[in-house]
Amino acid sequence: MSSGDVSPVRVEGEPRGTDSDGVSARMPARAVEPPVAYPFKQPLTWWTRRRGYLLYMLREFTAVGIAAWMVLFLVEIARAHGGGAGYQPLGGPLFIAISVLCLGLALWHSYTFLSLAGMIMRIPLGDRTVSPRLIAQGMFALLAAVTALIAALLIWGGA
Amino acid sequence: MTSQDSTGGEEHHVPKPGPNRVLGLIWAGFASAAVLGALIVPAHILIQGVLGPLGVPSFDRHYGTFARALSNPLVKIYLLVLFACSFYMLAMRVWYVVRELGVPSKLGVGLFSFGLGAAGTIVAGYLLFSGP
Repeated sequence: MSSGDVSPVRVEGEPRGTDSDGVSARMPARAVEPPVAYPFKQPLTWWTRRRGYLLYMLREFTAVGIAAWMVLFLVEIARAHGGGAGYQPLGGPLFIAISVLCLGLALWHSYTFLSLAGMIMRIPLGDRTVSPRLIAQGMFALLAAVTALIAALLIWGGA
Repeated sequence: MTSQDSTGGEEHHVPKPGPNRVLGLIWAGFASAAVLGALIVPAHILIQGVLGPLGVPSFDRHYGTFARALSNPLVKIYLLVLFACSFYMLAMRVWYVVRELGVPSKLGVGLFSFGLGAAGTIVAGYLLFSGP
């Protein structure tokens, strides 16, 4: 870069006096031209660069799968408004395939969020606290118990 | 809140001292909704979405059993909580992820995502409490 490429910055006033550190002596008192900011723009595909980023985005995407399946459930409830004659529950290979996909996302959400419980929760036990690993294991045991209970109720309701 | 610095320079943002209680409440709601969703949702999808259509009896496969269950106020409230948790989770996740993908408007994205979640919950409430 030649010296002609650089435009001189106009300076108001004189440079400051020399301080003990000697740094401010080289700095102008006040530059007229404002400093140019170059904000960093993250590329849209930043989350594809690392496996951890990808798993993070997948975890965030689980909410979409869960909400999508809930909308399908709402469609079923709306169909029930028409009475017994016109009621047709959702089914077929496409619905099952979507449900399997949503189930995978829901389980991924369960795994990631319940694993965090051990790091978030602090349960005092005497002078110490319950170990994070034990808390996470307890949450997974609770998931299994709640799943079994709800599954039993849903099947019992349909029997 | 904005203020001018002593040199008469341009305005800059001065953060309010103390914790952001509204954001804290939003996160507390998200944590509760996410735990409930993590514990409850997989069972519903497994039975109603996968095993039910494959022949396992489920309460929503026949109108009689479905209407009988939906007529119970406790089931209505339970399902409304389930829908609300799912849509709240969606709103919170979308609020953050869309901004992380480069959309700058925090307020705009927040209004859109939480508005979407609220609309879903209202529709669910209407369908549950006006149905059989």
